Amino acid sequence: MSDSGFPVVRDVDRVRRLVALPDVRPAMLDKLAGATVAMVGMGGLGCASAPYLAAAGVGRLVLIDPGRVAPTDLGRQILYGAADVGALKVDAAAARLRAQSPGLSIVRHAVALGVDSADTLLGGATVVVDGLDDGRMRDVLNAWAVRGGAPVVFGGALGYEGQVTVVPPGGRPCLACLFGSVADAPAECSVAGVLGPLVGVVGSLQAGEALKWILGVGQALTGRLWLVDLFTGAARVVPVPVRATCPVCGGAEAI
Amino acid sequence: MELKVNGSWRETPELPTVGALLTHLGVTHQAVGVLQNGQVVAREAFDREPLHDRDELEIVRFVGGG
Repeated sequence: MSDSGFPVVRDVDRVRRLVALPDVRPAMLDKLAGATVAMVGMGGLGCASAPYLAAAGVGRLVLIDPGRVAPTDLGRQILYGAADVGALKVDAAAARLRAQSPGLSIVRHAVALGVDSADTLLGGATVVVDGLDDGRMRDVLNAWAVRGGAPVVFGGALGYEGQVTVVPPGGRPCLACLFGSVADAPAECSVAGVLGPLVGVVGSLQAGEALKWILGVGQALTGRLWLVDLFTGAARVVPVPVRATCPVCGGAEAI
Repeated sequence: MELKVNGSWRETPELPTVGALLTHLGVTHQAVGVLQNGQVVAREAFDREPLHDRDELEIVRFVGGG
């Protein structure tokens, strides 16, 4: 038993099933322990992805969200319980994640991402996981990735539909190659509704992409958009080519 | 004309442009991405990019929430 009264969980036991994967070598675990993942938004997607990242042995999570837990969040934001209503999401999430993984380092920022603050908030991140519910800020995050910040694992979930893609540093392709600006995209689940487990599906896939990127295994979802519709149960992957005239990462002014 | 839309062939009236197809399908989404025969069609070009018989299109709307 540790001083805290909990059984001591050795890190080597925590990751034993991960290391059993055919592509994963024990030496790669240092990459996880040394990695910082910035979680931009701790709503439904962040609540799904953060525990998997903590459980897998990621060394440091940066939680970024200005919001407080509302009763309407509890149906799908599964890091929070009834006692957390009114608390800052970054505080409530940090408490749950620390209980899950005591060795995890957590940085909390109870602020919204902005054009001016992106470098400060995201600097040093190995990978960024998008849990935003705001298209304008996703434009900011996409531009930051294209400026060479770090790979961003984009995810979205609304109604019954979800999607995931990874924008590598420098883009080409980036989110704007296919969609242009997403500032005006509907994102408000209070209007459209959302099936709770959908954010779990999308957030879990985002965590998988983040872990793959850190470990350097598998094929990243770059240049591809993964789509799921839980209403019909259909999923598909659409290739996303570079757009030469992309105003964010392509065209004559490309890097 | 015959078009492959999101993996399925369908018969449509003669439609001059990608934008006309979106209107025909009732797609009014603000952030919609279109691939025509594997190439991205920029949103500002929807109404001038010509459609051809047997074009293959992917129409994807951006999903916002989180």
